Amino acid sequence: MTILANQTRILVIDDEEQIRRALKSVLSARKYQVLLAQQGQEGLELAAEHTPDLIILDLAMPGMTGLEVCQELRTWFDGPILILSVHGTEADKIAALDLGADDYLTKPFPTGELLARIRALLRRAGSKLAPSPVVHLEGLEINLTQRLVTRDGTPIALTPTEYDILAVLVQNANCVVTTGLLLSRIWGGDAGDDTQSLRAHISHLRKKIEVTPSIPRFLVTEPGVGFRFIVP
Amino acid sequence: MHPSYSRWYQHGYPIAVGSILGATLFFLLGRGVLPNGLWALLYLLLVGVVAAVCGVRPALVSAVLAFFAWDFFFLPPVHTLQVSDPRDWLSLTIFLVVGVTIGTLAGRMREREVLAKSRELEAAVLNRLSAHLVSFTSSQAMAQTVLDEVAHLTAAAKAAIFVPDATAELQCLQALPQKPGERVAALAQWAHRYKSAIGLPQSPEREDHHVIPRAISKPYQQVSGGTDRQELYLLLQSSTQLEGVLYIGERADKHPYTPDDAGLLLSIANLVAAFLERQRLQTAAYRSDALVEADRLKSTLISSVSHELKTPLAAVTATVTSMLEDDVEWDVPTMRQELRSIHGDLERLHGNISALLDFARLEADAWHPQCAWYEVGEVLGSALSAFPQSLQQRFLCTLPDDLPLLYVDCLQLARALQHILENALAYSPPEAPIRIGAARVGNYQRIWVDDSGPGIPQQERARVFEKFYRGSSAQQSPSGTGLGLAITAEIIRFHHGTIWVEDVRPRGSRFMITLPLTAQRQEQPDDDISEPDTHSGH
Repeated sequence: MTILANQTRILVIDDEEQIRRALKSVLSARKYQVLLAQQGQEGLELAAEHTPDLIILDLAMPGMTGLEVCQELRTWFDGPILILSVHGTEADKIAALDLGADDYLTKPFPTGELLARIRALLRRAGSKLAPSPVVHLEGLEINLTQRLVTRDGTPIALTPTEYDILAVLVQNANCVVTTGLLLSRIWGGDAGDDTQSLRAHISHLRKKIEVTPSIPRFLVTEPGVGFRFIVP
Repeated sequence: MHPSYSRWYQHGYPIAVGSILGATLFFLLGRGVLPNGLWALLYLLLVGVVAAVCGVRPALVSAVLAFFAWDFFFLPPVHTLQVSDPRDWLSLTIFLVVGVTIGTLAGRMREREVLAKSRELEAAVLNRLSAHLVSFTSSQAMAQTVLDEVAHLTAAAKAAIFVPDATAELQCLQALPQKPGERVAALAQWAHRYKSAIGLPQSPEREDHHVIPRAISKPYQQVSGGTDRQELYLLLQSSTQLEGVLYIGERADKHPYTPDDAGLLLSIANLVAAFLERQRLQTAAYRSDALVEADRLKSTLISSVSHELKTPLAAVTATVTSMLEDDVEWDVPTMRQELRSIHGDLERLHGNISALLDFARLEADAWHPQCAWYEVGEVLGSALSAFPQSLQQRFLCTLPDDLPLLYVDCLQLARALQHILENALAYSPPEAPIRIGAARVGNYQRIWVDDSGPGIPQQERARVFEKFYRGSSAQQSPSGTGLGLAITAEIIRFHHGTIWVEDVRPRGSRFMITLPLTAQRQEQPDDDISEPDTHSGH
């Protein structure tokens, strides 16, 4: 297999043969270079050898678990890690995110969603130094360089905290942002777990930016995990 | 017998003797003032009083004593039992006859009254207990009431009820004032093992009751440690088996139990035995009902799993294998259409597997809500996101902006809503909108889903939340596991809420969820976080 210099490399670590096969076919068709590993140790070796741009990691594996692999990877790998979990293992999912994984998908997932996650993670990883300064969303414009939020040209009044929350979410557009990360980014290290006031700020923020605040479409909640700002 | 009212009655002989002696001393002061015949009449009056208070036998004793006292102290020659006047012999004879007659008649009346009173009391006690026994649902509560009643009745300081456990070892079910010591437990065990009551007074009319047979009295002597206390160990014998032992400790005044006491206590023991028997049979009946129900559930589950998982699988297999055959050239649009139908089948398979998994987790009691603060819209959004984009357009949500936060497990509640939405989609005509609403009503949050299906008949409304229940109109409607709404109801129950179905006009059903807000109030986050400077850009 020749590895082309301009191709994006994705490493899939999953013990299920069917999943590896399906992901290989889906990703290869989208011109990604796919590396497959069927267990944690092999995955670590492949990652060290080929330095992939993104790693898709299954949580439930015999032997070295996905959590352990994630922990090990984060000691030297700073590319995005996408977790695959199954319904009913929310605790593991959150633990993986806390260990430095970037996002997760619950099996079974539609291909469209998988590709959207991969694109969002790669975009974020590639633009770490220069985040996209202006976001347009159905008449809503968020300008990060000017710290300005407008709807149809009219400025929307946000409190500093609301703006900071929105900025963190927009910088990580389409990627999950855990409650913990949000708290530490807004209030610093000693924020503790004041999730209740964070919830109140989010609620105010939604009333200002959402078209239908009662059913949010931009700033959505990831139950038990955190929030995600969706930019189509 | 209750001590307060039979005190005089119990001490008949001392009262009889004492009253005659006292009266004689008193009469001696007035000797010679009144004629001798009048003293005789006063003595007879006294005999009558003793009879009325103490019954026949003390009255007869007093009559005889009065006879001698009158003769000795009042009939000449005094201080001898001699009689000088032969006519006095006649007086003495008449005195004795009249005294005995008065004593017997008045005494018998008194005894009848005492007996009637005690029967009345017994009847009242038994009546009260039997009324209690039919209403009790727990053995402990029954035992407590019975022991209180027994203690009140007998003035016994200690009482206990023992029942055998699964290994036929006697265990104390309930005791007064506290758990009895080893000696009592050992004696109760002995009574139970040898099916023999201990301490019952011998009584000619009650020969049918168990007393310790001579042949096996030796182990009894061993367990009782040779002491002979006035305590009772009665058998709780029901029609089918020995249900336990009723222990009644010594009376506070150490008086032995009379045959009458024993009779009443045995009646109580019989009532308790009947209650314990009923309780035992009921438990057995419940258990067998539960087993039958579990069996039914298991077989329904297996048939549901095989049907609901295999049907979409069969459809997918049929389509895919057909596409793999090379007898037909598939053009791209047809292939896409086939793939779309496969995707639909797979979605259905996924839905059914998720429902079965939820059900299994609920049945295994392994799905505990992990509550946090969420907005209604967030929960609803989470539920809606599970549906494909094409279906999402059919959901019309109208939520007020000022709904309070809910303290719920978002994933669980979203699953609950998802099942209701699936149900609404399944029973509504194609393209018909599903309306979703929410409102705060007092201390409750209401969330409802309106479909425009055929509606649910009144008598079926409660049953739609049962496992595997399919409504009467379900025959021609799309299939399902029959678990969705049961899972919903269970999740709502976890959140201390309620769920019901009502009609909506012009056509359809409304599934109404009500979640309490009161329990959460004190933790409600402050919704009015004020920040002095509002940020509006530069």
